[in-house]
Amino acid sequence: MIEEIRQKAKELLAASKVDMVIGYRRSGDGVSTVPAFIDSAQDVDSLVWDQNCVYNLANYLREFPGKKIGVVAKGCDARAIVVLLQENQLERENLFIIGVECGVTDISEKCAACPRTVSAICDILIKEKGRKSGAPGNEKDAYAAVEALEARRAEERLGLWREEFSRCIRCYACRQVCPMCYCPKCVADQTMPAWFSKATSLEGNFAWNVTRAFHLAGRCVDCGECERACPVGIPLRDLNKKLEKEAKELYKYEAGSSVEAKPLFASYDKDDPKDFIK
Amino acid sequence: MSALGTDSMKDDKKMAADGGFEPNIVGFLCNWCSYAGADLAGTSRMQYPPNVKIIRVPCSGRVNPLFILKCLMDGADGVLISGCHIGDCHYSEGNYYARRRFAVLKNFLEYIGIDPRRFQMSWVSAAEGDKWAKVVKEVVEDIRNAGPNTISAEKK
Repeated sequence: MIEEIRQKAKELLAASKVDMVIGYRRSGDGVSTVPAFIDSAQDVDSLVWDQNCVYNLANYLREFPGKKIGVVAKGCDARAIVVLLQENQLERENLFIIGVECGVTDISEKCAACPRTVSAICDILIKEKGRKSGAPGNEKDAYAAVEALEARRAEERLGLWREEFSRCIRCYACRQVCPMCYCPKCVADQTMPAWFSKATSLEGNFAWNVTRAFHLAGRCVDCGECERACPVGIPLRDLNKKLEKEAKELYKYEAGSSVEAKPLFASYDKDDPKDFIK
Repeated sequence: MSALGTDSMKDDKKMAADGGFEPNIVGFLCNWCSYAGADLAGTSRMQYPPNVKIIRVPCSGRVNPLFILKCLMDGADGVLISGCHIGDCHYSEGNYYARRRFAVLKNFLEYIGIDPRRFQMSWVSAAEGDKWAKVVKEVVEDIRNAGPNTISAEKK
């Protein structure tokens, strides 16, 4: 696969079809990978592709407005690109998406329940050798953790989340790695008004984590980067997955499935659920 | 006092004469329907509990989920959003967006362990003073049963 990725990157750069290719290269430890920003055809050999390519490269695309970018995109990265396109954050004609079919289960826990390992949107799809294309993911277990939590008593749930959030050190790593967290001024940084405490108090931590999750309702594509980046191990995906489940059950909406679809909260239907309103 | 002036709520847990719990509820009312409906309830001298502190907003669609969170974090025992009936929105579709957004928020709050009774919504028109009084009675009773808000209280 990697030969095909390098070949394509070389082709694109040599023909000046793109100004830069964003992919993965080996980091200093010789095992893990870091994002690679390659702007010359001679450098394409530094690109790598294996189960350590965790980063969601969609996060970098907004940094190069007006430039033509080629990007290596896994299934989840591609869904993130779809959401960014839906929200007019990127221009499709400035992107060349090198879709890669990823090896499932190898990258991280979330991959085990990944419904679509193939890029939703791509200009070229590089397939994994020896794997049946479009093999269905293990969607059945996708909400197992959420359902287990739902089954518990309300006080237990509150206690559990209070415990998890109390560990938060407000480093905002979850925000920085998230391709959808692009507000020019995050509510967490606002002072007029100050929506919640900036101190690592339970109140501020609770408000921050709930706000962050809710702001991703109908937008999160479950790339899992927030949970991976969290230094204190808060199970952030359990929050994101709950919102994903709600969007699916209430509105049959799935983030990142169509560029043409209107974002979840920028649309409505006359038959939306109404039973909770007096 | 914070910019939103709600810091004092935590200490403001009023006890009724018999020592029972009196909930402190924040109401976000749309200017065009529910606010006028509440006004009508008042001018018609209808009796209903005084627990809901009303904040007037242009539309239920103006209500940011952060408002609800801010209220609950700062110690309000409950939040009530009230707007025009579906189809009657002054801005045509503001309440449609609100309905969609808050259906998800309500379920999400429940998921993280916040009693769903603490967050309620109603549609009350400008002519429904009686409905407003009824809604407030129900909401106050619900939240009284839910008990005081301890979501962000630090462990002693």
